[in-house]
Amino acid sequence: MKKPFAIILLATLFSCQQSVTRVAPDTQIDLSGRWNDSDSRLVADKMISELMASERFKEYAKEKGRKPAIVVGLIRNKTSEHIDADTYIKKLEVAIFNSNVAEVVESDEFRDKLRLERTQQQDFADPATVAQWGKEIGANLMLFGEMTSETDTSNKKRVVNYITTLYLTDIETGKRVWYGQQEIKKFVKNG
Amino acid sequence: MSTAKSLRLAFFIFALITLQACATYYQQHLDFNYEFEHGDLQQALNALKGSEAESKSKFLFFANKGLLLSVLGDYEESNAFLEKAFLFGEDYRINYFNEGVSYFTNPNFTVYRGEDHEHLMVLYFKAINYLKMNQPQDALVECRRLNIRLNQLTDKYSSPHKLQRDAFIHTLMGIIYQSTKDYNNAFIAYRNALDVYENEYAKMFHMSIPEQLKKDLVNTAYWTGFMDEFQNYKTKFDMQDYTPVQPDAELVFFWHNGLAPVKTEWGINFVIAPGPGNTMLFTNESMGMVFSFPVEEENDRRGLASLQIYRVMFPRYVERPLYFQTANLEANGGEYPLQLAEDVSKVAFQSLRQRMLQEFAKGLLRAALKKVTEQSLRKKDEGLGALLGMVNAATEKADTRNWQTLPHSIFYSRIPLVPDEKNEVKLKLLPGEGSGTDYSFTYQPQKGRTLFHTFSSLESLAPSYSF
Repeated sequence: MKKPFAIILLATLFSCQQSVTRVAPDTQIDLSGRWNDSDSRLVADKMISELMASERFKEYAKEKGRKPAIVVGLIRNKTSEHIDADTYIKKLEVAIFNSNVAEVVESDEFRDKLRLERTQQQDFADPATVAQWGKEIGANLMLFGEMTSETDTSNKKRVVNYITTLYLTDIETGKRVWYGQQEIKKFVKNG
Repeated sequence: MSTAKSLRLAFFIFALITLQACATYYQQHLDFNYEFEHGDLQQALNALKGSEAESKSKFLFFANKGLLLSVLGDYEESNAFLEKAFLFGEDYRINYFNEGVSYFTNPNFTVYRGEDHEHLMVLYFKAINYLKMNQPQDALVECRRLNIRLNQLTDKYSSPHKLQRDAFIHTLMGIIYQSTKDYNNAFIAYRNALDVYENEYAKMFHMSIPEQLKKDLVNTAYWTGFMDEFQNYKTKFDMQDYTPVQPDAELVFFWHNGLAPVKTEWGINFVIAPGPGNTMLFTNESMGMVFSFPVEEENDRRGLASLQIYRVMFPRYVERPLYFQTANLEANGGEYPLQLAEDVSKVAFQSLRQRMLQEFAKGLLRAALKKVTEQSLRKKDEGLGALLGMVNAATEKADTRNWQTLPHSIFYSRIPLVPDEKNEVKLKLLPGEGSGTDYSFTYQPQKGRTLFHTFSSLESLAPSYSF
């Protein structure tokens, strides 16, 4: 009779408890091998450093005679994972804004909301404070991007190579002014 | 009263209680099942007892309530219960005390954790409820949760012979993304769905790729600007002349056909004999099954060997065969067949089949522990030992809990609608034999909107086995 009850007691002692620990946001924690926050951070850091160091971008700004204005366009995802590009694009936007190398203007979705608000102000706001039409800053450059991945699997092993490419294109001429690229290769072994 | 007498009385009461509880989960909820199967959903809802929200089967209570309220059109209330079912799955932790006790009684002593596909279905109903309420951003949250659940499923089963992915859920994610004009993510979801239909679903369930999925994949490739993929998929699907057309408004129609299988139980007799070293072998020759268990004490091994034959109960599914075999929609002069996207019944069978070895091992370990305990007690008091043997036999029972209000199969189609006008849509359900049944619906969508409709037909043919 002793042994079965000992099993129950042992099982009770090892009851599963959930634990939550706060960690520094830049701590690299890889669980599944899929795209995660560390990858977004790597991409953002690489893109920021490449853009800040780009001689061609500096030349372009010099030619314009003022800080170029950038609008975020389309980031296409061709991988098999649902990756939200905002996780690194927003970091890039903040770095551009804080470094003062360029202006960031709103994307079409948010411009529509601003225009709706401006329309309503014409009727309801104090005329002295009404936002004026025709004062929006036209963007010089549009940020585009593409994410691709190649996967090779065999039994419980998987190699996946993510390539993230961002580029800035002159809206007037269609000429590409800057390229940034980050490759992340992962080798995942299960079991 | 002497200790022996007290114990006898306790065992007697325990035996009475357990004998009452020997019905399957379906039989324990006969009143609810009767109302539900006869289509009286309000009565079925009333038959769900609130006390079950705190029971070991609370997941099923939340899921059943959420499903019924959704069919009745109370989407907000439905989502409140489905959220509880979702959070149950998120917060579920094994209670090892209950697990331990279940080895001396039966697995119904543990909290029902829900099958993998049941947890996915919770989020399916929740997302659809949000889409019907025109809350696409909330539906997208469910979509992201589904993505996490699918990833967890892939990580859980490393064997390619096990069902690791769910084609319908990938398709659903694509449909949700497409409804929010996120064609890139819709394309990724459809491409993943195609991969599962072509591989796992073709091999395991003999299912083909839904025609609607082919069109949606080609459309979203085109609308995202993936022209290489657009051309490649057109060639692959033999759709060379196909040109994507963005409708001004459309309807995604899901048909929930029939009812999911019911879990019941079956018993296998095992011969118990000493094995090599300190082991005992449980053998069923006709089924070619041999399980070995280490039993350290010689007395216990002798005791087990003297029992010779033991019956162990295991869960099994019983299909409720479809009454309606096919269906189509007629709208604005066009005809649109509803296509099979998920055979929930087959998915359920597969999920149990792939863990049957684990079920056998657990059942036999339960049998071994029960018998060792009985044998130990017999040594002290033959009468009490015999009584425990009777209780053990009475409590031997499989876990027969499952989400029984789910549909047997899910079919779907996408049809274009004329915006700002009344669109008459006719649904024709066709059984294998005899005449069909028609239903009519009217939709008046705004320009650019995607409407969602689910229709449940609860009719089933008589199952081959009673439960």
